[in-house]
Amino acid sequence: MSASALLIRGGRVIDPASGLDRLADVAIDDGVVREIGPGLTALPASRVIDAQGCLVTPGLIDPHVHLREPGNERAETIATGTAAAVAGGFTTVCCMPNTQPALDNDTMVHFVLSRAEKTGLCRVFPVCAVSKARHGVELAEMQLMARAGAVGFSDDGDCVASAGLMRRALAAIKATGKAMMQHCQEASMTGGAVMHAGVVSTRLDLGGWPREAEELIIERDVRLNRGIGCAYHVQHMSSAGSVEIVRRARAEGQPVTAEVTPHHLLLTDQEIERSGFDTHFKMNPPLREAGDIAALKKGVADGTITVLGTDHAPHAPETKQVPFDTASFGIVGLETAVALYALALVEDGVIDWPRLIAMMTIEPSRLCRLEAMGLGMLRAGGPADVTIIDPSERWTIRPANLAGQSRNTPFIGREVKGRVVGTIVAGKLVMSRR
Amino acid sequence: MTTHRPVSPVAIPAPPALAEPPHRHLLQLRGLPAERLREILRLARRYDGIVGPRPAAEGFSPSGLPAGLRELEQELHGRVIANLFFEDSTRTRVSFSVAARRLGADVIDLTSVGSSVSKGETVVDTALNIAAMGVHGVVIRHRSSGAAEMVRRALEGHDHAGGQAFACSVINAGDGRHEHPTQGLLDVYTIAAAFNRLDSFDLSGLTVAIIGDVGSSRVARSDIAGMTSLGARVICIGPPALVPAKLSTLGCEVCHDLDEVIGDLDVVNVLRIQFERHDVSVGAQRADNAPAAKSSGGVASIREYSEFYSITPRRAARMKKNAIIMHPGPINRGVELTSDVADSHRSMVLRQVSYGVVVRMAVMKMCLG
Repeated sequence: MSASALLIRGGRVIDPASGLDRLADVAIDDGVVREIGPGLTALPASRVIDAQGCLVTPGLIDPHVHLREPGNERAETIATGTAAAVAGGFTTVCCMPNTQPALDNDTMVHFVLSRAEKTGLCRVFPVCAVSKARHGVELAEMQLMARAGAVGFSDDGDCVASAGLMRRALAAIKATGKAMMQHCQEASMTGGAVMHAGVVSTRLDLGGWPREAEELIIERDVRLNRGIGCAYHVQHMSSAGSVEIVRRARAEGQPVTAEVTPHHLLLTDQEIERSGFDTHFKMNPPLREAGDIAALKKGVADGTITVLGTDHAPHAPETKQVPFDTASFGIVGLETAVALYALALVEDGVIDWPRLIAMMTIEPSRLCRLEAMGLGMLRAGGPADVTIIDPSERWTIRPANLAGQSRNTPFIGREVKGRVVGTIVAGKLVMSRR
Repeated sequence: MTTHRPVSPVAIPAPPALAEPPHRHLLQLRGLPAERLREILRLARRYDGIVGPRPAAEGFSPSGLPAGLRELEQELHGRVIANLFFEDSTRTRVSFSVAARRLGADVIDLTSVGSSVSKGETVVDTALNIAAMGVHGVVIRHRSSGAAEMVRRALEGHDHAGGQAFACSVINAGDGRHEHPTQGLLDVYTIAAAFNRLDSFDLSGLTVAIIGDVGSSRVARSDIAGMTSLGARVICIGPPALVPAKLSTLGCEVCHDLDEVIGDLDVVNVLRIQFERHDVSVGAQRADNAPAAKSSGGVASIREYSEFYSITPRRAARMKKNAIIMHPGPINRGVELTSDVADSHRSMVLRQVSYGVVVRMAVMKMCLG
């Protein structure tokens, strides 16, 4: 990736890791941030980007995406998924291991890294399987995968159900220095479940996925982890009770973190009825109720939830344009994340822009152990991964302006505010709307 | 009319007091004072001077036997010792037999196959019956932790209906994952011999690594107890599933990164992964019916284990110049250490076996003499 010099002029530069928040220019050369300060002079042959009225932030990091390669290239590939990522301002994505075959050995790690090197537009790091083939029976070769470049471990899509295996996994992951990321779902309670177990599911007679199925796993894992102390991360948290459990664990000083998606902050199970069984509202975990949204927002506000992750889950149309109970779970999220998080959290006064940026940069960087590479922060001498956001630009989410291979999102047609206007990866302007 | 009175524990008659030497049994090294360990080791050293293997170059002496051997056979002359091995063994059983015969004792070998054990008799009943025949000592190996201690209690008149006590020594030759005290002693002896500490049996200043399946290892528990008691620093090394952090409560350190510490080690004591002792209940559910034994047990794969913990020539080259490699056997070549390392000049494996005989002679003499 050869990169010419860039000068980002006149933006509000926010680096939550260092507390920087001021109007300044950012000079970039040879893939590295050379200088941050007011009134910088452009190097000869520099491209100058006018960032007046924009936020200039560290490149965004999504710790939870599905790139579907290998195995389901019909829905997404590393090439198309990273195109969606840079369109949404992400310079780093961490991809989940539920591919076919699963990312469960070091050869698969090398595959993902080399495909990303050849075809990707941003940085890609694999989150690898806890158990072989994600079957939840035997531990996968996590030590080898960590050495090869895995940045975390999860059987995402499936929960590590066996408590015995989970205890061994926590000890093994602790030794690698990475985080255990759990998809919290007690499967014995969610057979045939396609939506939140509540009034609406009763009315629609669709299988219900109760909150307790999430809460029990978190409660169990926190307890298992007490004597071990592995970094433990709750993926896509959905229920009010889960927030409470994580809040308590963190208050005890346990190394527990949690993430929340845009859709769990904005949508409830009522959308399914209102939309007439639109399968774009089918998620795992499911959309819940207004009280859960309020609790999740409170969790973001008080620092219980520190990480934002989209759970970008592309699906080919043929797996979504089917009856609700047979449709795939999940929606795409990379390209709409900034606008939707701004809507849910900044517009609503839950947190301010600098905190939102922190939850999309330095916090996921810490979770995925990317700090040592200088990712998730913006400082002179560090890698030039930069995102430029116009917080006041209004735009309408349309299929035509989505760059990824799949368009399965329930937010089509919605007018939102706040748009990524430029994405720079390793000093190279890979996406520009100006 | 009869009244039912609660049975008070006091009502059970206490076993008769035995006038016996204070160290009639050897059940574990944990809790034994350092001086007691040294007493056994010093006696082993005396025996080693008489029965130790001779270099082949010396040939046979004209009299046919080394000096002092005949006299040795008087030490336990007339004693009868029974080997009760309820679990497979080659080295240890033969070693105890040779040791007993060197001291002039008569040896009876009993294995589970071809005895009443295969008819369902309990280990305690077997031992009581053997003792009732007037046998002076039992050497016992059993798959359950605490089996030797249980037999001791029974022989001393506890926990069985008759309450009869027998003057019979119990020597633990390995109980489950708990202890294997004579292995611990011979490992200490081997280290002392390699580092010229046979006069003091003081291991201070030496760093001993126990690498591999420490959690399931009775050898490791005896080694940790014996070596730390004599002053060594002991580090247990392996993946968390095999070397859990709580092992540090045994007085050793715990480490998951062999390459970080290998240059600091004086002794590398390598253990076999004991697939047979791991909980395979989860692995047993494998859909493909592959044998669970080689794939479960807490390590993801042999390949991963070997990559991080096998003693390879590359790792051996990073060890201190005088560092030694030990292994209690049986070796799984290519897993915990490679063949060329197992057969290298650093390897003490066969010396451990030789020292095992004299250490067991000393233990039997102390218990039965």
